[in-house]
Amino acid sequence: MMARIELRDIRKSWVAATAVERIDLAIDDGAFIAVLGPSGCGKTTTLLMLAGIYSPTSGEIAFDGARVNDVEARDRNVGIVFQSYALYPNMSVLDNIMFPLRFKKIERSEAEARAREIAALVRIDRLLDRRPSQLSGGQQQRVALARALVKRPHLLLLDEPLSNLDASLRLTMRTEIRRIQRDLGVTTILVTHDQIEATTMADRIVVMNAGRVEQEGTAKDLYERPQTLFVASFVGSPPINLLEGRAGDGAIKVREATLKLAGSAAGDVVLGIRPESLHANASGMPSRIVAAEPMGREVLYSAEGALGLVRFIEAGAEARHREGETVSLAFSAESALLFDKASGRRLDARIAS
Amino acid sequence: METDTLDTVAGTTLVNPPLRLDWPKLARRARLRRAAGQSALLAFLLAVSVPIILPYFWMVVISFTARSGGVSTQVLWTACAIVVPAVMIYSMVHLMTSSRGLRVAAGVVLLAIAAGLLAAHVGHRLHFANYRFLWDPNIVEEIRSKATAGGQFPSVWVAFRNSLALAMSETVIILAVASLAGYYISRFAFRGREAFLQGMLVLHAFPAMTLIIPLFLILHWVGLLDTIAGVILVLATIELPFYVFVMKGFFDAVPWDIEMSAMTDGATRRQAFRMVVLPQVRVGLIAVAVFAFIRAWEEYIFVRTMLIENTNWVMSLYLFWVSDDIMGVDYGIVAAVSVFYVLPSLLLYVFCQRYLTQMTIGGIRG
Amino acid sequence: MPDFARAQLNRQRANAALFLGPAVVLLACFFVAPVVVDLGLAFTDMDRTLAVTRFTLENFERMATRDSRLLASLGITAIFVLSTLSIFNVTFALLLAITTTAVPKAFGAFFQAVWLLPRMSPSVVYALLWAWVVDPNERGLLNQILMHVLGLPPIDLRGNLPLLTIILANGFIGASLGMIIFTSAIRSIPEHLFHAARADGAGPLAIVRHIVFPALRWPISYMTIHQTLSLLVSFEYILLITAGGPFYDTTVFSLYAYRRAFENGQYAYGAALSLILIVIGVIAALGMWRLMDMRRLLQPPRIEVH
Repeated sequence: MMARIELRDIRKSWVAATAVERIDLAIDDGAFIAVLGPSGCGKTTTLLMLAGIYSPTSGEIAFDGARVNDVEARDRNVGIVFQSYALYPNMSVLDNIMFPLRFKKIERSEAEARAREIAALVRIDRLLDRRPSQLSGGQQQRVALARALVKRPHLLLLDEPLSNLDASLRLTMRTEIRRIQRDLGVTTILVTHDQIEATTMADRIVVMNAGRVEQEGTAKDLYERPQTLFVASFVGSPPINLLEGRAGDGAIKVREATLKLAGSAAGDVVLGIRPESLHANASGMPSRIVAAEPMGREVLYSAEGALGLVRFIEAGAEARHREGETVSLAFSAESALLFDKASGRRLDARIAS
Repeated sequence: METDTLDTVAGTTLVNPPLRLDWPKLARRARLRRAAGQSALLAFLLAVSVPIILPYFWMVVISFTARSGGVSTQVLWTACAIVVPAVMIYSMVHLMTSSRGLRVAAGVVLLAIAAGLLAAHVGHRLHFANYRFLWDPNIVEEIRSKATAGGQFPSVWVAFRNSLALAMSETVIILAVASLAGYYISRFAFRGREAFLQGMLVLHAFPAMTLIIPLFLILHWVGLLDTIAGVILVLATIELPFYVFVMKGFFDAVPWDIEMSAMTDGATRRQAFRMVVLPQVRVGLIAVAVFAFIRAWEEYIFVRTMLIENTNWVMSLYLFWVSDDIMGVDYGIVAAVSVFYVLPSLLLYVFCQRYLTQMTIGGIRG
Repeated sequence: MPDFARAQLNRQRANAALFLGPAVVLLACFFVAPVVVDLGLAFTDMDRTLAVTRFTLENFERMATRDSRLLASLGITAIFVLSTLSIFNVTFALLLAITTTAVPKAFGAFFQAVWLLPRMSPSVVYALLWAWVVDPNERGLLNQILMHVLGLPPIDLRGNLPLLTIILANGFIGASLGMIIFTSAIRSIPEHLFHAARADGAGPLAIVRHIVFPALRWPISYMTIHQTLSLLVSFEYILLITAGGPFYDTTVFSLYAYRRAFENGQYAYGAALSLILIVIGVIAALGMWRLMDMRRLLQPPRIEVH
């Protein structure tokens, strides 16, 4: 199979702006990686550089240890599914899927057999005579996937594959893509701004922001040990509470609350507490409920207390607290995170229990 | 069907692992392909463009170097020998680096070297004598030393003034009429709107040149033959359908909300048109004006046919008769007049290029 | 009728007159009227005197039976239109569009500007340059290259191969319009299609065949018809470069009508000849109108008040 993919010190800049500042990444054979980040962070640009559509301004891309910067897109044997699917409008679905095989010196009969085989795999075998304009979004996406896979690629690249689909279809396709990837064992890189997509589909996640890699790891790593403020706020839903404070003398002061520190820290800091870590508890800080938003499975509350305005959640469809009510909120010390305000990096110091 | 998993894939050809690829070889091949491909394309483009570039360059060179009684191409080839390598070197630099600073630096250096070489080798051959038609109105008579076939030649400025008047009037008429009509068709519902549009489309596609004979007679019958005014009216009319569509396109692109809010603010539609909508299509107006002007500036057939006595001179006729008279004798002056005549068109085109590319009719840009 | 409605109606009429009036008047006088005039003229005997003495069918009789020059002219026209169209106006324009979009933007823009130069410069200047280039003595640029670079004897392109000369001259101009239209069509192809094709393994030729050409199908048809019509009726450059000669060797049909009218004074005959072109023009115009997407152009207005 395909071996490692490495991006070493990659930079991509255009005349007007720099899309990618610096990327260093190594991806193992057969891995399923998600590149997660907000729009404009450079993730699609990175994807296209891997495909050979764009050339890095500096740095090196290596497949199997060999430098491939100069290798043309058509020689890289990479399958790519674009966000817009990019199906050839004047060809039938079957011709679309067979298109990559034209350039591989395969007999037409065999090419057609392979195309039909993969069409059956992604369950579009009854649509082969249609034109792309006659297909729904979900069907188009599966055609794009089939076209990417039919060439038995070394590397599969997916650019926001689920973003144009409706919720139920998204769920189905998530499972299907994961299944296909596991069955075929092809190294896959998925680019998305949706953390659910990333955490549910990929083995490892690379978080990108403003052209740089913020953190790389499993979903658990990113959730429990985010290395930067950005990662902490981007991963986790509802988003983490970020409370500014000042540290010194073994304690931090956040608004009216003073909390003891285990470890040392000084200067402006940010305290991060996830909504799911806050509980209404007998011995907590008195907080006044400001808003209660039922969200189906749980209720999201906003409360004003000693720490300032925080959000917390409680399971259940119905709100048990009303606006104006006072509850006492507590959180476990281990779940709280401390970040240096200036650099955004997480500090080793924690809240003392 | 929804529960098919491993079985489906295992039985297919998809699990056969692909072969390992020779990456360094592919990289080398790609570099070669790219270099060869781009060079071939540029060489082709250069080869087919030379028949166009060379004569224009020649015309400019002759206007500055030729003397009475003949023309030599020596200066041309010397200049080419200097300019062409400079341009090619710059092209290679431009291709190989994407740094703006380097490109500009290379450009400046090459420009300086080329200018220096040109000054040294051909500088002494340059002169302005051929441009004396600009201040000496009797050049043709002097050269031919007799009255000429074209009758008494006026000063070039008479022709220039007439051409300017012709082009500007025609442009103003077109701007006014096409804007008004374009706006009305775009914004108003009226009986026969569809028919009118269809009619305009047919007229637009219809070749007006076929009507030159009856137009000649019509102008004769209304007494406008042999007048600039007659030519202006004819030219403006035959171009009108096209420009009405262009302006309609621009008006179509103006959001309705602007006009609606102007009307709720108390304006009549005419006022809304004048104060609110018209400024929005400024780009369209400029594009139409430039295009119409260039077209009228170069007009030859209609002026030749409709201006029968040589009492009204325009630039195209002036150049034609000058070259007809003294072509074999004095290339230099003819070249100089040509350069003088071409300059306004080229300058206009260069400065307004981005406006011209915005003209569109029914989705077809031109 | 209530006052408001009457005022509306008056203003509506005034608006129609103000906005459409000038256009209608101009078009009626100088576009529609000539067609009618030509129709009538074709059946008269108007000559140099510009007087009509009787109505007659003899112009058409002459066209059908007695005019050998006309026959020759039709042949010349066919050769001229077909050659220029197929070599330059469509094919070469395609080639230019594809090549100028395949090289870096700066170069593409430069070469497009060069190829637009003939169209942008006044026709008299362009014709003059052609005259110089094909000058039969040593002076002509063409002969200079033939003699000094290739070692061949000088040729008189205009005298000996006049048809080739006008095909080339009109071709250089004709290619530029197609180049612009096709370039615009190529630029409107979504970029991701090119990306997908490249990732699928397509080389440049395959991309042209599968991505570019399908997108150009409609512009090519439109250009072919449009340019055929244009070549049929335009004779400005031919008039300037060869004057239709030597004798009538390069006189295409449209020029033939012009020469009969303005050189020989046979205005009625010229009108009759032009009538053929007018009919062709009307048919072609209607045909092109059918091809174009009329619905888009006829968006109904959204404000009803005047």
